[in-house]
Formats: sequence, structure tokens, C-alpha cells
Amino acid sequence: MFRQIWIVSALNFRSLKSRFWQSMVIVVGLGATIGVLLSMMSMTQGMKQAYFNTGDPGRAIVTSQGADAEGQSSISRADAAVIMDAPGIAKDKDGRPLADRALNMGLPVLRKNGTKGYTTLRGFGPKGVALRPEFHLVAGRMFEFGKRELIVGEGAQIMFQHMKIGDKVILPNGRWPIVGAYTTGDILDGQLIGDTETMLTALNRTTYNSILVRLTSQDALSTFRRALTSNPALQVTVTRHSDWYKKVSDQATGLLAVLAYVVGGVMAVGALFGCLNTMYAAVSTRAREIATLRALGYGAFPVAMSVILESMVLAAAGALIGAGVAWLLNDGRTGTWGVNIFRLTVSSGLVMLGLSWAVVVALAGGLLPSIRAARRPVVDALRAT
Amino acid sequence: MKYVPLVWAAIMRKPTRAILTLLSVMIAFTLFGLTIGMNATFAAVQAAAKDNRIYVDPRFASGMTTMPLAVTHAVERIPGVAEVSYQNFIPGYITNPKNRIFVQVFGDSARKVFTEWPITPAQWDMLHNERDGVLVSKWQADKWHLKVGDTLTVIAPLVKKANGSTTWTFKVLAIVGDMAYNTNGFIWGNYDYFDKARPPALQGLIMNMQVQTSDASRTADIAQQIDDTFANSPSTTQSITEKAALDVSNSGVDIATVDREIALAGMFMVLFLTANGIAQAVRERFAEFATLKTIGYSDWGVICLVFAEAALPCLLGAVLGVALSAWLSGMIPHLMPPSMGLPPLPRITVMVAVWAGVCALAVALASSALPALRLKRMDIATALSGR
Repeated sequence: MFRQIWIVSALNFRSLKSRFWQSMVIVVGLGATIGVLLSMMSMTQGMKQAYFNTGDPGRAIVTSQGADAEGQSSISRADAAVIMDAPGIAKDKDGRPLADRALNMGLPVLRKNGTKGYTTLRGFGPKGVALRPEFHLVAGRMFEFGKRELIVGEGAQIMFQHMKIGDKVILPNGRWPIVGAYTTGDILDGQLIGDTETMLTALNRTTYNSILVRLTSQDALSTFRRALTSNPALQVTVTRHSDWYKKVSDQATGLLAVLAYVVGGVMAVGALFGCLNTMYAAVSTRAREIATLRALGYGAFPVAMSVILESMVLAAAGALIGAGVAWLLNDGRTGTWGVNIFRLTVSSGLVMLGLSWAVVVALAGGLLPSIRAARRPVVDALRAT
Repeated sequence: MKYVPLVWAAIMRKPTRAILTLLSVMIAFTLFGLTIGMNATFAAVQAAAKDNRIYVDPRFASGMTTMPLAVTHAVERIPGVAEVSYQNFIPGYITNPKNRIFVQVFGDSARKVFTEWPITPAQWDMLHNERDGVLVSKWQADKWHLKVGDTLTVIAPLVKKANGSTTWTFKVLAIVGDMAYNTNGFIWGNYDYFDKARPPALQGLIMNMQVQTSDASRTADIAQQIDDTFANSPSTTQSITEKAALDVSNSGVDIATVDREIALAGMFMVLFLTANGIAQAVRERFAEFATLKTIGYSDWGVICLVFAEAALPCLLGAVLGVALSAWLSGMIPHLMPPSMGLPPLPRITVMVAVWAGVCALAVALASSALPALRLKRMDIATALSGR
């Protein structure tokens, strides 16, 4: 039987040339659908990747209970001292715990296109850099602790105005100069960093937002967590850094993914009708050929299969073209969404997603025509002109 | 008109093809209606935005960050500023923390700044005179089943009164209309009532200001001037003009362009479908067209017939698709959980419908161009002989 499917399909594909434009309806329909789907998904994918890079499974973040974002969390000075002494935290070369009191606040910025937006201004303590091997200074110098100065991420320099070294940023009670630029290859690239303690004073605040620690090993999380949650004086949540950013990423990308699926879904329905149309036409064009095959003894099933196979191959070709266009237009481009800057990504996983959508549409679009092809009485079809 | 049956018969020669084409075109125009309708909503919000209004927020807001009321006087002194209003809010809930509610309390000057809001002078007077009163927009009134004269009790753990209580009671003075872009409705109260009830240390604080300028052309400059004025103070500000605040491109993503690209992709898809369908129909009936020409139809007559055959499903699909998108956007509020606010919804305006029609005709024109050319150049004798 497989031999029959093979022969009938091969015959099919050889005659594709004469039905070229007709077949292009499927290719273009699914190309447009998958192109749009993947272009939209390249944003969520890029954002997810940036968040994924930010969260290190070897780090843990301590936030106040019930806080969904670092900005909502608040850790007092006293609690911070207790947290940073807990077991499970790796030690730096100087013998001090690799833990940092962090600040996180919205900073109004002017985008390059003149619109107003926000990014995140982060406070680093003395161990902020040691905790992050991904941090590299690329220009200027590091900010000095105790001084009112900031460093800026490379992404922020691309996206926002007034982010050059020497420019000044408005903070409460004065303007802070930018003295250096850094890259981390993750979500921090779109942000600015200064000294936590100096920022606290300027902001008239007394609490930190979170504590970031390097665990002695990835398995030390439970030790660290138990030490903090068993302490009745602390009301904190301990989250593995990678899990924290997975949650943040899901919140940030959820709506966008839903939109992409809705738009892609609607287009897929449109493409499905186009696919049905083409396959019905193909079946009727090949009516005599199919009938001849049937008369020669070929089964109904191989004939039906060949129709479905044809629509699937055309759809897959369309999906690959659509994915290619989406990749050319979007991959590597810098995107922004909310406070985040990231590189749009059309990953192989996304291409697979597009392919599977196309194959499902083609399966649905080929099914009814294939049944018609297989059930048409041989004699009638042979007589038809 | 007498050609309509001819065109119709031509289309219905292959009913499956006709229906599938129509459905595909309809879906593409549903997407067109939703995306371009969304852009129409953005444009309407942007057009309705007042060009002489500025919103002033604390530059570094974390949770309940406030500014002293005194900053309003400093803003009033800036040349070009006509009116300054201010507000504070009471975020709380009704009986159960899940029933979140949000009461905004405004100073008296709000009536001079929010002139286009659906609130009558008499209602402003009521709000001024009955200190514990609130004006409730219809959307909020429906949500909480409030009528005029009802008592609204809000529990606000974050907003304590001087006596330590977190329970705030209000009287519903009037139910007023909603603002198109304010899709969650609003509840407005009296700032004075709120302020006097607060502990002395927390009195005279505001959350943000709304500024009206006397010269609309200078609004953006004045916004910048306000930020500059407070740049070195403890109360740094972030000012944004209403035009900019309500501009969708201000979100950092040019959604309007994305919408247009999606609509275009859909059009591209149908273009191939209809072009192919028409080319095929003309190929199949080549001899028939030759017959028409033989009995005296002009080139243009035949071409018009072909164009009509392409245009009919396109236009019908456009009408059905846009109607479907209008129905869908009307359905969205019923599908969303009522606790969530409404997202901005596509609005199917006359312009959206007109654009859909233009696109449908363009697709029909483009797809019938090549077959028409073929018909124009046809050699009648060859065509009739069936070769």
C-alpha cells in the first residue's frame, strides 16, 4: 500500500507544474499566516530569551511576601542584614557573602522617537558586580560608591535620548551624571545602575526592594529558603532567580502571545478555506487521472492520501517561506515592550511551531477533497470531460 | 443591471469554489475590520485628546508616592498655565478584597480643567456642597449596582482616617456618563472631605496634578518647563501632555503600523486566492467569452463582466467580514470577566468600512487585470474552435 501511496503521490507532484498558480494559493495563504504569526511571536520569544538570560539558577532572590514584582517588594535594613547572614550563600574571595541589597525603580526616559516612557533604575551594592559574571563595563568607568553617579546599559543607549556618558539624569534633589556604559546581554541592558545607598538617601527611602544572593550550589536553595522562612521575624519569599524571571516573563509576554495566537488563528481559518478551494480544484482537474488509476486497481486510500500529502507539502513550503520572511524582517532587530529592550528572535522552535500550524491547516484543508477524490465513482469520472 | 444574472450564473457555476472563496475573503476582512477598527479607536482617542492639558505625576512614584499641595501654587505661577487641578485616591474594596474599587478625589478646580467630561455644573456644585458625595459613571454604577442616594462603603487598608478607621462612606450624588477612553468608568469624590478626614501629618498631600494651559501651541513646552522647575526639588515631576499620553505610539510599540501590516498580509492572501479563481474561471470559459464577443460584446464589456465576477465575492466578503468584526468587537465585553477592565475595542467607523471597500475593489481589480488582458487579446476564431 505504501508503494501505491508513493506512486500516486509522485504522479501528483509531477503534475504540480501545470497547476502552479493554483498551488500558490496554499503556499501564499500559509506563508502570510505563518509570517504574521512568527513575526508577532518573535517579540515574545525575544523577550522570553532576555528574561531567561537574566535569571541564573545559581542565584536566589529574596522579596517581601506577596510581591509580584521587585518594585512592590520592600526589605528593611535590619531584615537585609539577617538575610545576608543566612546559610547557603556563597562567599566572595574577601570572605564576605555574595549577596547584594538591590533597589529597583521606574525612571522616566525620552525615547529616540520623542515619546516618553520608563525604564528601570537599579541600585547595586558592593557585591552587585561580583554576583553577575555577565556584567561587563564597555565604556567610561564604574560608578563610585557614595557618589551621585550612574552607569547606563548599551540597550538603553540605543533606545533612549540623553544616555551618553556625561549626560545627566534627573533624580530627586539633583541631576546625576552618567559615567560609564555596560552590557549584560540580558534585560539589564535596557536599564541604568547606581549605588543603592546613595540612591536611598536621595529618594528619602529606608527600605531595599530585594536581596540577590549567589548560592553555594544550585542545590543550596532549600537550605537558604528554610533558614529564612523558619525565622518568624522575616516575612519574605525566596525564589530561584531563574524561576523569578520565568514568572516575570510569563506575565509580560502572556498578552502578546494571546494576541499573536488570535491573529494567527483567524488568518489560519482564512488560509484553510483557500486550501480547501485549491485542493477541490486539484481533485476535479485530476478527476480522469485518478479514475484511471482506480481502474488500474489502485485503492481509494492511496488516492486520498496523495491529496492530503500534496496539500501538506505545499503548506509546509508556504510555512517555510513565511518563516523565512519573518526571520529576515525581525530576527536580531531590537524591540521594546514596556520597560524592556530585547532582540527579536525567530528561533528554530518558532519555525517548528509555524510548520506544525501549517501542517494542521493542510490536513484539515486536504481531508474533505481527498474523500471526494476517493469516493467518486470511477465510471463517471472516466466519462467526464 | 441586466448583467447581474449573467455574473451570478458565472460565479455559481462552481458553488463550492464560490462559497470557499467568499469565506476566505470574509475571514481576511474580519481581520481587516478588527485591526483597522482598532486603529480607528486609537485615532478617535487621540483626536478627542485636549491639546491644552498636561498630566503631572511624581517622577519617582512607588506605590502611594505623594506631592505636597503647595506644588500646585508653584505650577500656577508658571506663565501660560491657566488652571491647575489635583487629586488623591482611595484604592480599596467593597466587602471583599476581591471587589476592588478606586475612588478619585478632586480639588474644586477640577471642574475648570475637565470641562468636556459629562458632568453638569449642577453636578459639580453638588460635589462641592455635599462633601461626602461621589459622582459615579454609568459603567461603575452598573458594576456595583449603585443608584442615586445609595451609600457606598469602601474599605481602604492603605488610606487611614485620623481616627484610625479605614472605612470610607460616600453618598452617590449622581450617575454620569462615561468617557470613551476611560474604559473602566470612574468614581469622583471631594478632595476636601478626604483631606480633612486624614491624620494631620498626612494632610495637604496630592497624588498628581492636571494642568490646563492658556495657549495650546505651547503645551509641550510648558510640560517641559514644569519638569525643569521641579528638577532640583524633592518633588521631581514627570509631565506629559494629554495628546502624548493618549497616543498609542507612546507605548513604545507602533501598534498602528503592526495593525496595518496584519491587515495587509490578509489582503495579500485573498489577492492570490481571487486572482487564481478568476484566472481559472476565464480559462475554463474562454470559448464562452469568445461567443460573447462574437455576438457583439465589446472588449470593455467582456472585461467589465470579468471584473464584476471578481468584485462581487470581494465586496460581499468585505461587507460580511467587516460586519462580523463589528459583531465580534461587540461580543468582547460579554466574554471578558466583569472584574477586569475593558480593553480598548475596535470601532468599525464609516472610514473603516470605506477602506475595506477600497481594498476589496483593489483586490478585484488586481486579480482580474491579467485575465482581462488575455480576453482583450484573444483571437475569437481560435478560442471558438476550442484549441
